[in-house]
Amino acid sequence: MSKNSLSKKALLSGDEALAFGAYEAGLKVACAYPGTPSTEILETLATFPDLDVQWSVNEKVAYEVALGAAISGVRSLFACKHVGLNVALDPLMTSSYTGILAGFVAVVCDDPGMHSSQNEEDTRWISIFSKLPMLEPASPREAKEFIKQAFEISEKFDTPVILRMTTRVAHTKEDIILGQRVVPPQPPFERNIPKYVMVPGNAYGRHIFVEERLKKLKSLSEKTKMNRIEAGDKKIGFITSGVSYQYLKENYPDASYLKLGMTYPFCDDKILAFAKTVKKLYVIEELDPFLEEHVKSLGLKCQAKDPSFKIGELLPELIPAVVKGEIKKEIKSVKRKPRLCPECPHWATFATLKKLDFYVAGDIGCYTLACLPPTSALHSCLCMGAGVTFNEGWRKGAPDKKIVGVVGDSTFVHSGITGLINAAYNKAKGVIFILDNSTTAMTGGQQNPATGLTIRNEPTKKLILEDLCKACGADNVDVIDPKNRAEFDALVEKRVNENALSVIISRHPCKLIRQ
Amino acid sequence: MENKIYNITFGGTGGQGILKAAEICGWAAMYAGFHIKKSEVHGMAQRGGSVESHVRFGKQVFSPIVQQGWADVLVCFHPEEHERLKTFLKPDGKDLIEYLDKAQKAIENPRHLNVFLVGVLSAFLPIKPDFWQQAIEATFKKKYVDENKGVFLKGREMGQS
Repeated sequence: MSKNSLSKKALLSGDEALAFGAYEAGLKVACAYPGTPSTEILETLATFPDLDVQWSVNEKVAYEVALGAAISGVRSLFACKHVGLNVALDPLMTSSYTGILAGFVAVVCDDPGMHSSQNEEDTRWISIFSKLPMLEPASPREAKEFIKQAFEISEKFDTPVILRMTTRVAHTKEDIILGQRVVPPQPPFERNIPKYVMVPGNAYGRHIFVEERLKKLKSLSEKTKMNRIEAGDKKIGFITSGVSYQYLKENYPDASYLKLGMTYPFCDDKILAFAKTVKKLYVIEELDPFLEEHVKSLGLKCQAKDPSFKIGELLPELIPAVVKGEIKKEIKSVKRKPRLCPECPHWATFATLKKLDFYVAGDIGCYTLACLPPTSALHSCLCMGAGVTFNEGWRKGAPDKKIVGVVGDSTFVHSGITGLINAAYNKAKGVIFILDNSTTAMTGGQQNPATGLTIRNEPTKKLILEDLCKACGADNVDVIDPKNRAEFDALVEKRVNENALSVIISRHPCKLIRQ
Repeated sequence: MENKIYNITFGGTGGQGILKAAEICGWAAMYAGFHIKKSEVHGMAQRGGSVESHVRFGKQVFSPIVQQGWADVLVCFHPEEHERLKTFLKPDGKDLIEYLDKAQKAIENPRHLNVFLVGVLSAFLPIKPDFWQQAIEATFKKKYVDENKGVFLKGREMGQS
């Protein structure tokens, strides 16, 4: 986003448009941990000086801080990528029961096609599971409009609202008209034990409320313009949502559409009414058969994509085959693969790990790219923090193998600390490498507690990783620059041959750190 | 406004300024009064992987991605990426790969390649020069605006000749 933000129109991504919409809706607090394709939401919000915006330690913490702010009376937002929501699922599930005071929206960006993710889970199921309403914009313009609706719905129905985008919405740019910020009056924060203390007796009462709320939200889903019928050719009717709608309109401009923007609760009456008006009904959506299964449960006959298209993203040129119900033809990608930058300090660390022929429990960050040939020196990538815990787990069944774990500095703070405490407490041994490039590099270089700077690059309390690792119970904690190869190799050889739990902080800053 | 949708596909590798080139084109189309959608995928772009971006503008645009075989103009910054992306071009589309060598020779600073090629591209699109200038002002820091306007004009001359 350029400095042109004062002009009335701007070319904004879905992430940026959503941030502007939230700002105009009177947002006060926003919390997130960086994650592609959601990162730019907080980066954009951080440019508004009157907002309270933070990179949190992880998504669970971010969710709780933002929800707490909403319960204290100010409109708040939490943003994450799909896998980030897994980390925040614990507070999310019970926040469905507590509800809110001022508006609260959880923005989740899914990544069909896994442009930069470890799986392509479909977050829409979470709406059923948590009994929370879900909005699904299909363009940046809708992202800006829907976030405002989300705050209204949140306050009217006393509920967190999930707003789900996908990569092709979050990272599409569109011309957007900017508006004025309007801050709603702040409701007073008061103690409310039956609502906010989820002990069994209170939670039972709130569960009754949740089920009643779902019924009311279903009525809203029937009425809202976000779920709209576009009457066209009566021979073909598409029920669709998100970017799939855009691809369909490109290929079948004259067909009839039920375009869903509020995908949960389902608008059954509208779906049934639409089905009656068209000769052949199609349900076309990306990833899982979320809409399809529900439409079929209403007793409607419809054609949907072949299950092979559950895998990967839809693209405009695939649409005719999807609509015809054909099987997906797998085409081998010839895309150039990303690799570690030539100057990257991780090269040196992994050269040593490869030379010593370790089994390397990996984690999530730039260094995951060390799995690629010819290096091939990283042997797992599951989730944030598992580089630390897999070191412990692998040793259970393979005590004869040479096993180490690696984790990035930001990833260690996000989810590695508890694993290290667990290893110390349960007498696990081995070497954990904290690959400290002093930034959150993979998502573009965001600050984290170990950099000592906030999201706005203001100095703050700096987390000293070596002190923390000592306090967690590591027997040895060394800090070393991996580019000092001889010294680094000697230290690694020494530590791996000890019967101890050691942490080697392999520290060399990323060249791409923003100045 | 006519109903035609203009489709432009940009491609290259991380660090070549592909996203910036598409960004300039997007702002120019916006200033010209078109509805515009631009798609890009980043996250790993800094790691030298393939980068592509699509710009579509017209009266009303739906898909943010250019469909295979629909691109009016293909702008590639790298011969290998051109091999991969040439199927996006429609049969009578304009392929700017013919300008890549000439462009590289015409610029003094390799970092100018993207803006130079945007200049070439501008010669084939129905967007007036003023809007391109405004787009450069919107997408560059002030101290780089004049330099890039100059590079753009040289590229535009090459595209028009």
